[in-house]
Amino acid sequence: MRSVLLLVGRDWFALPMAAFQEVVAAPVVTALPAAPPTVRGLFNVRGQIIPLLDTGVLLGLGPLPGCSFAAVVQSRYGPAGLATTGAPEPAELAWRVGPAHGKGTVAAYAAGERIAVLLDPMVLLAPADVAAES
Amino acid sequence: MDITGQEERFRRMFAEEAEGRLATLSELLLALETTTGDPELLAAVFREAHTLKGAAAVVGFADVLQVAHALEEVLEGLRRGDRTATAALVDSLLGAVDGIREMIPAVLEGDDRADHAERLVVSLQTPPPDPAPADPTPPNPTPVAAAGAGIRGIGETIRLPVERLDELVRLVGEAVAASLRLGRLVTERLGAEPASVPELHELSRVLGDLQQRTLRARMIPFATIAEPLRRATRDLARTLGKTVELELRGQETELDRGVLEQVADPLLHLVRNAIDHGIEPPDERVLLDKPPTGSIMVRALQLGSEVVVTVADDGRGIDLERVRERAREAGDGLEGAGDGDAIYAIFRSGLSTAPEVSEVSGRGVGLDVVRTSLASVRGRVEVRSEPGAGTEFRLSVPITLAVLPCLVVEAAGRRYGIPMHSVVSGEAAGWTGDYVEGQAVIRVRDQVLPVASLAWTLGTGDEAAVNGGPAVVVASLTRRHAFQVDALLGQRDVVLKDLGRLLPRLDLLAGASVEPDGSILLVLDASGLVNQARWIRPGVRGAVESSPAQPASPASTGQPSLLVVDDTAVVRELERSILELAGYQVRTAGDGQEALAMLADAPADLVITDVDMPWCDGFELTRAIRAEPRLAGLPVVILTSKADDADRRRGLEAGADAYVVKGDFDQQALLEIVGRLLGTLTTARAGDRR
Repeated sequence: MRSVLLLVGRDWFALPMAAFQEVVAAPVVTALPAAPPTVRGLFNVRGQIIPLLDTGVLLGLGPLPGCSFAAVVQSRYGPAGLATTGAPEPAELAWRVGPAHGKGTVAAYAAGERIAVLLDPMVLLAPADVAAES
Repeated sequence: MDITGQEERFRRMFAEEAEGRLATLSELLLALETTTGDPELLAAVFREAHTLKGAAAVVGFADVLQVAHALEEVLEGLRRGDRTATAALVDSLLGAVDGIREMIPAVLEGDDRADHAERLVVSLQTPPPDPAPADPTPPNPTPVAAAGAGIRGIGETIRLPVERLDELVRLVGEAVAASLRLGRLVTERLGAEPASVPELHELSRVLGDLQQRTLRARMIPFATIAEPLRRATRDLARTLGKTVELELRGQETELDRGVLEQVADPLLHLVRNAIDHGIEPPDERVLLDKPPTGSIMVRALQLGSEVVVTVADDGRGIDLERVRERAREAGDGLEGAGDGDAIYAIFRSGLSTAPEVSEVSGRGVGLDVVRTSLASVRGRVEVRSEPGAGTEFRLSVPITLAVLPCLVVEAAGRRYGIPMHSVVSGEAAGWTGDYVEGQAVIRVRDQVLPVASLAWTLGTGDEAAVNGGPAVVVASLTRRHAFQVDALLGQRDVVLKDLGRLLPRLDLLAGASVEPDGSILLVLDASGLVNQARWIRPGVRGAVESSPAQPASPASTGQPSLLVVDDTAVVRELERSILELAGYQVRTAGDGQEALAMLADAPADLVITDVDMPWCDGFELTRAIRAEPRLAGLPVVILTSKADDADRRRGLEAGADAYVVKGDFDQQALLEIVGRLLGTLTTARAGDRR
């Protein structure tokens, strides 16, 4: 399966290519007052205002120290940016190597030299989870 | 028939819109064939047919109206369960849809299609035979000519998807941003002011003009839908033998094109309902000491980031007993619901108080359409009715992508917009060192107002203390508050952009806009801002433990005093009896406003409040209590039937100490919570919220 690999802390996650829109390097983020920790702020992609989510918090890994890149993803509730630690990379998911238990995750796959957990953006990007306090 | 230019325009608008509705209807009918008995799907099909019928009536397409009405009759049979959506029946329904599609261009040209309409009606009224299981005959194919009749010349206007206008707005914004970057480049490389270079100056002027015009292209005045409303009023009143005067106010109010499209149908339904159900016949009105001519007023008004449209009539009002009776027949007797709750049953699908089904109304679909259309643009509808005096519907819709005049300010190095409608004044000279009861205050003319650092309030500044910098005075619904900023940058129109549906509601934020340089301008919400400032100000939050400012209450001299707030009398009295038996003094209020007034007269030791109430709901009441220094430490228990996590979170964010769902409600649990909050207020507030 064609996918985009996202580095979140020390973990790699795979995003289906169909849900992926583009990568924004060093996004200029406008913080939102009183926003939940999942929301790092808003950023502008060619005139469109897009929420930037802390992928670490969303996946239960803890907040990311910074956001080098944002992967813009299409969800059923509109586009969203997923903050990543490193530059996203295109990759082919080879075979399933194990289960994954986090919300919005499908399973762990081999992707070249890496192991990446495949994400299901439709499940991961739900308003209730984005609004969650932790 | 003599048709005016205006009428012709609306007939063509109907034709354009019907094209889309018929396509949707076809799709839904096809889905109906494969998912028999889905009530939501049936309701959706019904709504489409009903809306089509209503619009046809407004523009005077009698033939189309006749077929749409017959179509609705068949769908009603399906909804009641008298019929099944067999393939043959769906064929017949699709045939009617195609027939209407064929008729519209002809009727538009003035052709009489009564015979065709009659045939379609007969075809719909003749029950098709049940399909034989082994019948190899395929259903009648959809007429190809009808299916392909989608593109026609329709005069000098064209309908555009709103997204295309959005795209234009975005591209123009990009062009403006690029020209600003070019200007900066000229300054850096050539040392020249951009305004002094004629070519750049001209480019900037033209782009600014273009931006203004493209922004305005999305906005259309409310007057755009005035004519169909007038026409509907006239035609329907004549049909029913009533005399009705329609008054339209606020026609200049501009709405986002997409929002207005969503509001138009609900408004039409409400006006038609008012004429059909509300306004009495002239002789009856005279007997009631009313003028023979009924009155309907439709008023549009922009209130901040919302447009509020009211439809008020002076008719007989909503018969609540009949609403209850119909609800009982539908399986929900509204037992225990107060009048304020029961009236909202009129928005349920299938519930109508009309005694007879007619071509006008009576199927309980119209108000269902109102509710669903508004929900699709995150709008809401409220209703008030007084027997014999009339009914008022109040539709509130957000303005997405609306131009909103804002005061732009700077605080802690960031810029923010504050909607001008909530700005009272900008004060160049700010705080002069005054305090009242530990709260920094500012004197604004003859008023003394609390003042807080905007950056601190928003959580972006480290310094809680205010200084002598400029201040902006804002007004929420209930109070005024000053905010000290670094600079007042001036007034500007900003375009609020849709932030998508993924983000949770943020009380401090009214929206956001993209600046010409590509940065994002946050537009603040005045009410949220004032509440936040009152809630976080030093000396209030965290001071609850010592609570020196706690108001004296009857509890200090005897039994604890509780205030129960609920608009449903039965619930109110039930809670009162439980609490009084447990030894508390209990007062009751019917809504948040009444509760606040009672608390101002005499404090309480604890408040138990419902959420859904007219005028001021439980969330607003809780926020208002937290915002009032004298009451800020007052424990609040929200007792509601709203069980969603999002509502629970809203309640706790508003400052409630406990959130109890009525579904989980038991007497003992309520008493335990009340006892715990009254006995161990400090720990409960700090970390034991439910």
